[in-house]
Amino acid sequence: MKKVIHSFIMIVMALLLAMPAAQAADFSGKTIEWIIPFRVGGGSDVWARLYAPFLQKYLPGNPVVAVKNMPGGGSIIGGNHFHTRARPDGLTVFGSSGSTSFPYLLENPKVKYDFAKYKIVFASPTGGVAYINPDLGVKSVEDLKNFGRELAYASQGATSLDIIPLLAFEMLGLNVKAVFGYKGRGPGRVAFEQGEVNIDYQTTTAFIKNVRPLIEQGKAVPLMSWGVLDADGNIVRDPIEPDLPSLPEAYEIKYGEKPKGPAFNAWKAFMIAGFGVQKAMWLPEGTPDDIVQAYREAATKVIADPEFQQVVEKSLGGYPQMAGEEARKAFDQVLQVPAADKKWLINWLKEKYDVKLD
Amino acid sequence: METVFQSLGVVLQPGHLLMLLCGVVMGLSIGILPGLGGIVGMTILLPVIYGMDPHSAFGLLIGMVAVIPTSDTFPSVMMGIPGSSASQATIMDGYPLAKKGEAARALGAAFTASLIGGLFGALVLTLIIPIARPLVLAFGSPELFMLALLGMSMVGVLSGNRPIKGILAAGIGVMIGALGDAPAVPEYRYTFGIDYLMDGIPLVVVGLGLFAFPEIVDLLIKGRAISETTTLGKGWLDGVKDTLKHKFIVLRCSVIGVIVGFLPGLGGSVVDWIAYGHIIQTSRDREKFGKGDIRGVIAPESANNAKEGGGLIPTFLFGIPGSGSMAVFLGGLLILGIQPGPSMVTENVDLIYTAIWSLALANVIGATLSIALSKPITRLTVIPFSYLAPFMVLIITFACYQATRSWGDLVALLLMGILGWIMKQYGWPRPAALIGYVLSDNLETYLFISVQRYGAEWLTRTGVLVLGAIIVFSVGMGIFFQTKRRAPASGGEHGEKAA
Repeated sequence: MKKVIHSFIMIVMALLLAMPAAQAADFSGKTIEWIIPFRVGGGSDVWARLYAPFLQKYLPGNPVVAVKNMPGGGSIIGGNHFHTRARPDGLTVFGSSGSTSFPYLLENPKVKYDFAKYKIVFASPTGGVAYINPDLGVKSVEDLKNFGRELAYASQGATSLDIIPLLAFEMLGLNVKAVFGYKGRGPGRVAFEQGEVNIDYQTTTAFIKNVRPLIEQGKAVPLMSWGVLDADGNIVRDPIEPDLPSLPEAYEIKYGEKPKGPAFNAWKAFMIAGFGVQKAMWLPEGTPDDIVQAYREAATKVIADPEFQQVVEKSLGGYPQMAGEEARKAFDQVLQVPAADKKWLINWLKEKYDVKLD
Repeated sequence: METVFQSLGVVLQPGHLLMLLCGVVMGLSIGILPGLGGIVGMTILLPVIYGMDPHSAFGLLIGMVAVIPTSDTFPSVMMGIPGSSASQATIMDGYPLAKKGEAARALGAAFTASLIGGLFGALVLTLIIPIARPLVLAFGSPELFMLALLGMSMVGVLSGNRPIKGILAAGIGVMIGALGDAPAVPEYRYTFGIDYLMDGIPLVVVGLGLFAFPEIVDLLIKGRAISETTTLGKGWLDGVKDTLKHKFIVLRCSVIGVIVGFLPGLGGSVVDWIAYGHIIQTSRDREKFGKGDIRGVIAPESANNAKEGGGLIPTFLFGIPGSGSMAVFLGGLLILGIQPGPSMVTENVDLIYTAIWSLALANVIGATLSIALSKPITRLTVIPFSYLAPFMVLIITFACYQATRSWGDLVALLLMGILGWIMKQYGWPRPAALIGYVLSDNLETYLFISVQRYGAEWLTRTGVLVLGAIIVFSVGMGIFFQTKRRAPASGGEHGEKAA
């Protein structure tokens, strides 16, 4: 009998102990503020608004998930706001993009946010495809082997996502003049069509809609994709353009050996930050594990939802979304870029484009 | 052709019509509130359209954005405050008309012009879709730079009583526009370590600071109603007749509106000034401009409604927004799962025609509602200003705070307001400063790109030479006529002082 009472007390105590934890991860009647450091209607805003109703459906207690746009300073203002203001109660989350990760990686002194301290919930990859003007006589990457003419690329700026194409061109030994000042990839593509520039890249979604028609008309030749991350952290061909070599393959075609060294290491880290896990949702430093767990489970359920998969197909480029551990592993590759490689890149930006980062 | 009428069927379904009507009513309200324009309207509506069918969502969004340039005439004419950035030029003559007690006439003319301009924009959008691509591609960065320069020089020379003052004021505007992040290099200018200045001073703050604030201060100093006479005048039918009489002005300015809307990167805050500048330059009798010439109302109003039709062209065909509100609309398209681009013409042509019909219909409904409501709203002008002022200050402050929702907005508003008041006192044309501000980013970016890409060769491109000749000609004419006009000293200076 005593034993029964004893175990009963134990059970009650265990329940009592377990209760607060179970309560903490219930968001009934709460509103979750999702800070997006970009303007309404931008890519990250659309991404968040596509996710929000599904997260609302699967988070425990069905809280309202409200997107709060906080644009400015190339997303640094919103990031810093999250860093200084967000409490670890699961009610404030942050949506980052490549443009948020880059100043962080480049150690911009204005950046206060620190991804190493946050908990990632899920991440969305994208891809990029480079193409060239057919008048130059280039039919594929093979033809770039002995190509010496000067090319022009319409760029938004040397510290933007354009680090990836610019460094890729550099690694392939192409003589590309970056013309700065374009407002994004859209105007860049128009400049390509106008003949103002003759080499360009687009994210995969835009490539499918806007560049494939050009290729059919013989006005553009696809060269390579940046590639995507596989489960082991290698860069492989982009499933959306399976016939095109990825950048590491293009490098091999040109030089006959696999890419290595600081340029490639830096390129890879930035490629993952800019494309491989381009957009991610974060919980602030010190968030209790049960809240993190609740979020990650909800994200897993969202991604498995057939209705959401249609959204992914239609609006997010069709790439598999990453939740929880998978996202963490991928982003760790960004965080663990060796200091020496990073330094090499910062120095390259300074030497080649006269970029001062402080 | 069949798709055109199929889409009309879709547009006329009750569900869609209701959405369109909601959009129109909302657009009219946003237009009346100073400082709030298409960008704010689109931003408010964006979360609503998630999961909506694209045709209904188009009704809502396009219905809203189409009528903002219709109703934003109310504050421009009656209070001398731009209702949105697209009707800043309407103040130049609309406000003096209201002071003379002819507000109803100005509004009648404006709404009719808006209606015709808007319909014209929809028509052009229909016709141009098949041939739009080569047109957009003809304007490279050097040509866009010259266009921006043309816009600035015209306003600089025409908006003041002395061309040199106008050009200097435009220069001040360019300098204000240069604050914050540089458009082409990763550098921040004159931020003094203040986060707020990193993105520069927002357009809403500059516009309201330069125009609304000084107006309120002066009216309070004078201490009487906006209208100097107590009679409203029955003129709004006269206004309609005025517009119909000047049908060629309406037509020409609608063309200007479509072209400006259509060129990516120029945007809505320029269109009214270009139309206004054009009408002064092409008129023989220009003594009354700036003192209440009805043509000065008709021109910008027909252009600013026409620009929405033009602005939809690059948005649909290239995924490049022609203006700020179109940029948000673009985001809306993505939420609806539509990827704009050249394939739109083949895959979603029904949607394009839905957009066109919605645009046309919204303009008709918007103009009708505005005329119907003009009487009660016009009464506002006879209220003593000291009663209105606190409310207007509130609206202006609120509108400014919407820009970035930071305290910096309010500080910047105050500083811009003081600058605007000083400029007004000393007869420096504020419109020129504003246009300089608006265009500074374009000027710098396109010049930077042109020089990087072509070296000095960009100067020899045909388009650049043609546009350059037009600039020299228009500036020369402006200076010539103004010196001639000043010589007899016929009293009453044109432009800023009269406004």
